[in-house]
Amino acid sequence: MKRRKVDLAQAPVTFARGVDERYKAATPLRGLLNKVFPDHWSFLLGEIALFSFVILLLTGVFLTLFFDPSMQETAYQGAYPALRGTEMSQAYASSLHISFEVRGGLFMRQMHHWAALLFMASIVVHMARIFFTGAFRKPREANWAIGVVLFLLGFLAGFTGYSLPDDGLSGTGLRIASAIMLSIPVAGTWISASIFGGEFPGHLIIGRFYIAHVLLIPGGLLALISVHLGLVFAQKHTQWPGPMRTNTNVVGERMFPRYALKQGGFFMAVFGTVALMAGLFQINPIWLFGPYRASEVSSASQPDWYVMFMDGLVRLMPNWQIYIGDYSIPPLFWPAVVGLGALTTVPMFYPWIEARRLKDKRIHNLLQRPRDNPERVGIGAMAFTFFLVATLSGGNDVIADKFHISLNAMTWAGRIGLLILPPLAYYVSVRICLGLQQHDREVLAHGVETGIIRRLPNGQFIEVHQPLGPVDDHGHPIPLEYGGWVVPKKMNRVGALAPAIKGFFFPVELPAEAPVSPAVPPLAGKPEREEITTGN
Amino acid sequence: MTSGSPAGRWRFRGVLARRRTAPSRARRRLGAAVRMLAALALAGGVYTAFAPGAFAEDNTQLSATAQEGKQLYDNSCITCHGRDAQGVTGRGPSLIGVGSASVEFQVGTGRMPMTRQEAQAEQKKPQFDKNQTKQLGQYIQELGGGPQLPSDGKFTEDLKDNPEALARGGELFRVNCTSCHGFGGGGGALSSGKYAPALHDASAETIYAAMLTGPQNMPVFGDNQLTPEQKREIITYVSVQLQQDKDPGGLFNLGRYGPVTEGLAIFGVGITILVFTSLWIAGKS
Amino acid sequence: MTTVHDEPDSPVDVNDPRLSRFEIVKEGARRDEIEIVTYESQFHGHNSKAEKRVARNIALLFLIAGAGGFAFLGFYIWWPWRFELGTAMSDYYTPLLGISLAVALFGVGFGILAWAKKLLPHEVSIQQRHNDPSPGDEQLITGQTMAFVAEELGQGIQRRPLLKGAIAVGLAPIGLAAAAPLIGGLIENPHKADPPMMFSTGFNQKFNDGKPVRLTRDDGSPIRPEDVSTGGQMTVFPGIPGGATNEWADSPTLLIHLRPDDAEVTRQNADADRRNKDSMWGDYVAYSKICTHAGCPASLYEQQTNRLLCPCHQSQFMITKNAQPIFGPATRRLPMLPLGVDEEGFFVAKSDYKDTVGPDFWERP
Repeated sequence: MKRRKVDLAQAPVTFARGVDERYKAATPLRGLLNKVFPDHWSFLLGEIALFSFVILLLTGVFLTLFFDPSMQETAYQGAYPALRGTEMSQAYASSLHISFEVRGGLFMRQMHHWAALLFMASIVVHMARIFFTGAFRKPREANWAIGVVLFLLGFLAGFTGYSLPDDGLSGTGLRIASAIMLSIPVAGTWISASIFGGEFPGHLIIGRFYIAHVLLIPGGLLALISVHLGLVFAQKHTQWPGPMRTNTNVVGERMFPRYALKQGGFFMAVFGTVALMAGLFQINPIWLFGPYRASEVSSASQPDWYVMFMDGLVRLMPNWQIYIGDYSIPPLFWPAVVGLGALTTVPMFYPWIEARRLKDKRIHNLLQRPRDNPERVGIGAMAFTFFLVATLSGGNDVIADKFHISLNAMTWAGRIGLLILPPLAYYVSVRICLGLQQHDREVLAHGVETGIIRRLPNGQFIEVHQPLGPVDDHGHPIPLEYGGWVVPKKMNRVGALAPAIKGFFFPVELPAEAPVSPAVPPLAGKPEREEITTGN
Repeated sequence: MTSGSPAGRWRFRGVLARRRTAPSRARRRLGAAVRMLAALALAGGVYTAFAPGAFAEDNTQLSATAQEGKQLYDNSCITCHGRDAQGVTGRGPSLIGVGSASVEFQVGTGRMPMTRQEAQAEQKKPQFDKNQTKQLGQYIQELGGGPQLPSDGKFTEDLKDNPEALARGGELFRVNCTSCHGFGGGGGALSSGKYAPALHDASAETIYAAMLTGPQNMPVFGDNQLTPEQKREIITYVSVQLQQDKDPGGLFNLGRYGPVTEGLAIFGVGITILVFTSLWIAGKS
Repeated sequence: MTTVHDEPDSPVDVNDPRLSRFEIVKEGARRDEIEIVTYESQFHGHNSKAEKRVARNIALLFLIAGAGGFAFLGFYIWWPWRFELGTAMSDYYTPLLGISLAVALFGVGFGILAWAKKLLPHEVSIQQRHNDPSPGDEQLITGQTMAFVAEELGQGIQRRPLLKGAIAVGLAPIGLAAAAPLIGGLIENPHKADPPMMFSTGFNQKFNDGKPVRLTRDDGSPIRPEDVSTGGQMTVFPGIPGGATNEWADSPTLLIHLRPDDAEVTRQNADADRRNKDSMWGDYVAYSKICTHAGCPASLYEQQTNRLLCPCHQSQFMITKNAQPIFGPATRRLPMLPLGVDEEGFFVAKSDYKDTVGPDFWERP
């Protein structure tokens, strides 16, 4: 009895020893458990994309169990009365079957669609974070490029998935996709005929898109996501500058116990958000759209939001056709083929372009606050404004209808906005960055405004400033060097008062310890604090 | 308070202005009456001279209901549509031949009388009650004929007797209606500020009248094109499926506007929840 | 613990039984170049009131999660879920699943998060990272090894011309053979059929034994002129078997009955055009419904302004002017179908479209 008990307690040890004798796992495993990750809310945005991808795989597998990617015509006889007897493809009929005759099927379909929208949305938000903080700089250029490819793959996955139910809306999307292929010079008709297996729509496209949607594209996504994460792991995450943080270390929490637990909890939160949205908001009610018919269309026919920028560019494009002898290039070609191509490839090269322009060959593991590189912020703001105007124009008919604006006026506003707003955004954001920079420098040079007004003997009123560093013989602060991190600008940030707000925005580092500049040791709050109170 | 400022302005303008306003009102009324008489006499004269005999005697043949309608017409519609609904160039079209169905639609939904000239007449609170609308319709009908709503007052199919009507109506709806009114019946934009209205609040009678008469820029769907039964099927689909059926896919249907509102929701709700969550996770407590 | 490490500069002996477990962990971290700067409880003393409160809250979150899970199961199994028209219990099936699952997942998620955030000790660790590339001689050795491999294979080939030729001749076909079925199987000639599919629609008389094709509704019934009221429009299809299906996706046509004065203008403009001459019948005109821009049905017919609007990209076409585009991205007018009426009084297409139907492409004449 006693022996067995001892054996049981020893079992894990024996097992672990056995594993290590075979695989030599002890050292690498310890390295993994101990790996340090920096902590900042913006580092979690990419995780949203990762977790929604996992949800997409889970719900997607469920949907494949019921979906039939066939364009065989059938008369619907299912549970939804308003389509009973209607001729439709098997693909559409089985999508209706999932929605109405599979218990919980509609919920799964909606989760899948919301997770797809969230996947793309979080990719864009994550990319914005990477871009504006300069996280793409050497040594991480390749990972940025992989990220851009991931966006493109997600775009394709989304579009193929949107097409699969073969409803009225997705068929319209396919028709436009075929027209985009046709618009390619020289090879257009051949490309379209090859992909659709003849003239649009043919009988093959749903089956082909299906295999692309469930195997080829997810396979590519999975492979690239693995490389993406592997590189983050191998190169270690970037971090913000701050106390103790240098270009050659990572300050944060070890993977276990805390970091991994937070990731697990966050995954649940992402999953919960998708479930909540799938329950609260109806998405893509395909039963209202009817089966695809080449003669039927609905007002407000739009692609999903991440394709909308392309649709918007197509809407805004003037009707310029280029004739070359007997041949011609239709206007659709420029926004849809060239535009999409440029918008997904040019950003890929940005890290190298910027490094070349700044002649910067150093390794950067510390992030830059956006204000510290106004030009980059300007370029980013310009790109995002362009994207935003194009996306809004993709929904300009809905905006026109709901806000009682003329449709033609919306188109013109989009055309003009696309040209004028991005440079304006560049100018404004650069000015804001410079202003913020200047304010930081000002506070470092003169100290924090205390809000205390003092009257000098000569009658002049001045505001007392709390110096952040040492003072010279005359009591004037010695200007401090900017350290690339938040400069305290309020008295409670330097520990003069209790924190005003608890929770979210409580300063990350304990304020009194925070050095404002690497050149200066952490300030001891007390004496100076007294100085103010006495000065009052 | 509201009357204070114009009064003040008048006083500021002086005695002359005040004296001018008072008699002008009376004179205007008098003038209008004289002009009306003159116009009537002239119109009558012209009509007896040129118009075919039957036309000239129209007024006397009007039924009692139509007489009432004519009274309403002469008060509210005549400025734009002209005497005897002949139309006024640049203001309003002739109403000869539009039929009582047209009146039911335009007046019954408050689109007419218009408040001002716009790209499109807006739906608003009807100015005339049901009975008055009927009288107006009767007048226009007797004046020039045209499409009439079915007298049996049946605008929908009974799904108990005719369960296939719903699916047939849906099919007809998608062929004929969705291109402007949308799959979900939410309406849509047309060129240059015109629009196809949402169907959420449209009554069966209104939809029937609209199909029959093609108000404003809507095409006409005469009884030869869509039989009364087909019209009833479409209305059945609209009212049962689009108006009454609660969406099965969630508490909110996002207006059924499609990807536009869905895209707004993913940023407004999804991304917002998760960004606040990550702020909370990374914030020190 | 059992693995013997040769760490001569190790300040601690991990086999020392007096070491606490945390000290061993710290030593492990040190070997991974991690300095654990702070690792301290967030509470003062063990079992403090604050700690108990946090633990209670976390327990509550997990309990809520459990309740959500049970609720989800309950709803999933017992709530009526089959679709019913009107407002029914089943309309709340998906919302209830979503909300209960969200409660369960948020409960678990925030339970774990609160545990990690509030209960686990506060930690600051610093790990060194190495930005330097591999040591100089390592780079050199690997580089030389690769150069060696390349030289061995490459120069070997260069020295032996027979091998070079044989590889080129022998391997290229294998690559092509691998690509051939993929490309060869997919490729389709867009210009093969007779009549060529890009340039013909179902209204081509070839598909109707050389007779003019009737215009039909989607149920296949033919159309008389009086079926379309003035100011009305009708979507029509070629009267051939399957003419209204997606087999003939470029054939849907919009038949419009114009008001007499608009028809007069339309006729003048059509007759002035070489291709559209004599294509109208009475006050009727028929245009292809397939937008020349991206192929959506351009079917938003405004009967007073006589415009056709495409809902996909807002191209607008003027019906009275040969359906020329007047706004938006479309460059080409909508093709006009030559209309006629056969001896039985039904609409027919006198011939196929004279312009190419559908979105534009490179080799369109």
